Amino acid sequence: MNKNEQAPKRKLLAVFAHPDDETFICGGTFAKYAAEGVEMTLVSATRGEMGRRMGNPPYLNRETIAPARELELREACDHLGIGNLMFFDIRDKTVEFEDEELLTRRIEDLIREIDPDVVLTFHELYGGHPDHCAIGKVTTAAFRRSATRGALYFITFGDAMERPERYGHTRKDVIKVDVQAYNEAKLAAFRAHRCQTEIDEWVWLSDKEALSRFGRYEYFLKGDVNAPQRVQHDLF
Amino acid sequence: MIPITRMEAEAELRKFVGSEAYIHSEATSFVFVRNFKVQVTQAFIAGEGSFRAALRFDGHGWLRMEALTHYEVDEHGRLLLAGYDDKGRMNVALHLGREPFPE
Repeated sequence: MNKNEQAPKRKLLAVFAHPDDETFICGGTFAKYAAEGVEMTLVSATRGEMGRRMGNPPYLNRETIAPARELELREACDHLGIGNLMFFDIRDKTVEFEDEELLTRRIEDLIREIDPDVVLTFHELYGGHPDHCAIGKVTTAAFRRSATRGALYFITFGDAMERPERYGHTRKDVIKVDVQAYNEAKLAAFRAHRCQTEIDEWVWLSDKEALSRFGRYEYFLKGDVNAPQRVQHDLF
Repeated sequence: MIPITRMEAEAELRKFVGSEAYIHSEATSFVFVRNFKVQVTQAFIAGEGSFRAALRFDGHGWLRMEALTHYEVDEHGRLLLAGYDDKGRMNVALHLGREPFPE
């Protein structure tokens, strides 16, 4: 029927910390690769159950927030075309206190099972939140141990990697993905994460106004800066 | 969650006096403690608009918290108190249950 059925299925594995990381940081990229037929698995280490935003006006509490955020993430995954969603059931804000070896092995097993072409996670230093850095560290270790092929990339925030020199990197280390055509799906996913985005008025403006807040590109840092890269605008 | 009225919230809190309670307590951006178990000996709610809660326990301890705004008794009979700001962000939470909260 189409070329995706003949060629071996391309696969992506993302290992993140909280529901909404996938949408807020690189939602456009997920939507783009979903449209290209890539099979995608997202791991959320936690359910984001220690978050501060409880809806606006608030309708959640510390005991009800976990299932609410799980549901929101499932809806966001539908918008972004992420077919497989897994939780590690770690309590939010405690990822860095998990047994590192056990967690690494768990991700290693997942990489061996899925055999992804692309693995996405946080950079262990630039993650910005202790849970992000912790999950990035173990995922990086797991990739280095287990992946016999494929490529590792670190997700980055906003336009920070438009100027990679500031972080000691060069443009060659950065993949710049054009997501302009997928920002509508990204906006739908933002709105799916309702308890987290209700506080941000721009998300709820008209589609046109809200879409104008998104950048055209999402940036990724190569996990192995010496790995050959065919093009600088595609993760595969 | 419903806005706290002092007398009603205090009456709910006092149902734990004389018994063991599992407590979840947090100042959201800074600290949380989940499932410490105490024998509650006294319980208080004070203030108006924004409320203070205090527990005395085990014959030698205090727990005191400010900035509470809302509460509810959930379907498991747990008393959930929380303090939200004007944009729905949680500042503090104090939960009491007769069984441990999910870890």
